[in-house]
Amino acid sequence: MTAVLEIQGLTKTYRARGGPRRALDGFEMYVEAGQVHGFLGPNGSGKTTTLRTLLGLIRPDSGDLRILGRPVPAELPQVIAHVGAIVESPQFFPHFSARDTLSLLADAGNLPQSRVDWALELVGLRDRAKERVKTYSLGMKQRLAVASALLKQPKLLILDEPANGLDPGGIREMRDMMATLSAGGMTVVLSSHILGEVQLICDSVTIISLGRRVAAGPVAEVLQAHSSGQVRVALETAADLSAAAQVLVAAGMQLQAHADHLMLTGVDKPALVARLLAERQLYVSELAPVHADLESVFLELTGTAPVPGQARQVDQSVKPDTAQDGVSA
Amino acid sequence: MSLVRAERRRFFKRRLIKWLVVVGVVILGVIATAVFFDNQKVSAETLASAEAKAEAEYDFAMADFQRQLKACQEVPSGNVKPEYCQWVESGEQPQRDWYRAEYYMPSTFVFKGQFEEMIVVWAAIMAVIAFVIGASFVGAEWSTGSMSSLLTWRPKRMSVLGTKLAVLVGWLTTIAVVTGGLWTAALWATAVYRGSTAGMTPGTWQSLGLTGLRGLGLIVAIGVLGFALATLGRHTGVALGVALAVVVVGQVGLTILLLMLRVPYPEMYLIPTHLQAWMSKVVQVSNPFANPADCMGGQCVEQVKSITWQDTGSITLGAIVVLLVLAFWQMRRRDVS
Ligand SMILES: Nc1ncnc2c1ncn2[C@@H]1O[C@H](COP(=O)(O)OP(=O)(O)OP(=O)(O)O)[C@@H](O)[C@H]1O
Ligand SMILES: [Mg+2]
Repeated sequence: MTAVLEIQGLTKTYRARGGPRRALDGFEMYVEAGQVHGFLGPNGSGKTTTLRTLLGLIRPDSGDLRILGRPVPAELPQVIAHVGAIVESPQFFPHFSARDTLSLLADAGNLPQSRVDWALELVGLRDRAKERVKTYSLGMKQRLAVASALLKQPKLLILDEPANGLDPGGIREMRDMMATLSAGGMTVVLSSHILGEVQLICDSVTIISLGRRVAAGPVAEVLQAHSSGQVRVALETAADLSAAAQVLVAAGMQLQAHADHLMLTGVDKPALVARLLAERQLYVSELAPVHADLESVFLELTGTAPVPGQARQVDQSVKPDTAQDGVSA
Repeated sequence: MSLVRAERRRFFKRRLIKWLVVVGVVILGVIATAVFFDNQKVSAETLASAEAKAEAEYDFAMADFQRQLKACQEVPSGNVKPEYCQWVESGEQPQRDWYRAEYYMPSTFVFKGQFEEMIVVWAAIMAVIAFVIGASFVGAEWSTGSMSSLLTWRPKRMSVLGTKLAVLVGWLTTIAVVTGGLWTAALWATAVYRGSTAGMTPGTWQSLGLTGLRGLGLIVAIGVLGFALATLGRHTGVALGVALAVVVVGQVGLTILLLMLRVPYPEMYLIPTHLQAWMSKVVQVSNPFANPADCMGGQCVEQVKSITWQDTGSITLGAIVVLLVLAFWQMRRRDVS
């Protein structure tokens, strides 16, 4: 498969009031054609900075960026026609209607005006298209933003928090829309904080923390590589639980005993558990590896799980020493 | 070319721009209407009655003078004379020339003599409007974020800004030509119905035409200035703020400073002088701090300098070019975030 998006060694330092701020620090990212790729990271980790850099809005300090095989920003003008993007709740001119906004963009991009109605229909704004953007609700503005990104019928669609402000129906529509688009061959890069959503629709993910990549790869692989290796064990007769616990501890396993099951951690091969117990005539009724969900993996990898009684500050997250990560792309 | 089309459309989709043009036309309309009704055609009767009035006033003044003169001469010597006698006895009697018929006539609009200053009025009003239009055309794009949207469609920033500037200059020229045409027509009508169009030779038309062209230049230049400032500040308000600061604080402060430091020809450094020089081709400034030693033999010759429209034009052009270069350079360099 070919990479639609490649980023290597991307570094960006903002000159901010409180001194220079390194927003990206040797970041890398690969997205293959036709995938829906989730781009995850805590607040302030550098997602928007990365996407703005890709679109030529921000000048990186260093790094190799390629879109559809072409180096950017050098050849951005040649590929921009294939890249639709919304970057962090984009603002539109408040006194223009949705139709005017899209129509002007279509003109600027040399696209037929018929696309405007198509895009408005697609995002469900058809009947409100003549009203001024100023009067739109948050979700309606977001829909307009998505429409503006789709207007080009791009090969690569970059969406920075597109679900921001969408209603549940809208989120589901967005999910279905992305599935359809990606089935039609479009590559989608999606930055989002709604991890349940990401887990549902994304083929692969990149997780960023403090400007560096902490994990990347297909969702299943990332989950597996970073799931804690917990196994839930229940026996046919609950009375044997403590005996079983002794056996397993003796075998060097770590576990927590519960009323009706044991929770083992750090188990590589669950089958071993069954065998050890069977040798002592203890029969397991349940032996289930506990799959971590994306949220817990994310919290673990970025070190942003809430600690009771502490208010975590932004920028308090994990920064890997080098740009190594668990799963390679 | 698609970008040009988009920007041309955007210009007149902007409400503020539409309103500013309307406001400009309304202001010009009000002034033209006032001028129309404030003037009257000179008929044979009005002229005759004004002449009669002037004659009567002269006769009255003359009689008064003779009476006072006689009274003064009759004062017995040794008595104190009334104060007016000094003047009366010096022989300064009223002149017929002091009582001209035109002083007793309602005002009349003579196109040849008065249209030139009306061109200045038009240029000044439209220049202020052009400044705000120029600033807002790019400033509001920045502050609402629609510039960064546009840049994700057209990443060549120089060509985006250049197109916007070209479209602005094009529309400002159009607006200036149309309003200037209406203004000329309105005042021509005023001259026809409420004054006179006498003496309009091709040479006069040409001279007025050139003044009009300089007015057009002023309008476009001020518009571009607003555009450059708003680009640099990425906000309409920055351009308006700078304009306010320069006009109010800058000019007042500068005047005080120049006078305190006794800088020769202080008016040379002030904007109104240059506006005047530009519109009326040349303006004289004098030096209030001339060295008294230069006044030889009690004959002080006033030291004057003239500033021509070319002087003013090149200074302004230079300033605008510098600002534009800065604006384009920072458009190229600065992050959009
Ligand atoms: N214009 C700017 N000037 C200075 N610092 C900036 C600027 N924009 C972003 N930053 C800093 O760069 C870092 C990364 O910001 P960025 O917006 O990329 O984060 P993000 O991952 O998009 O966060 P979020 O999830 O909150 O949208 C932050 O520390 C932020 O403060
Ligand atoms: Mg962001």
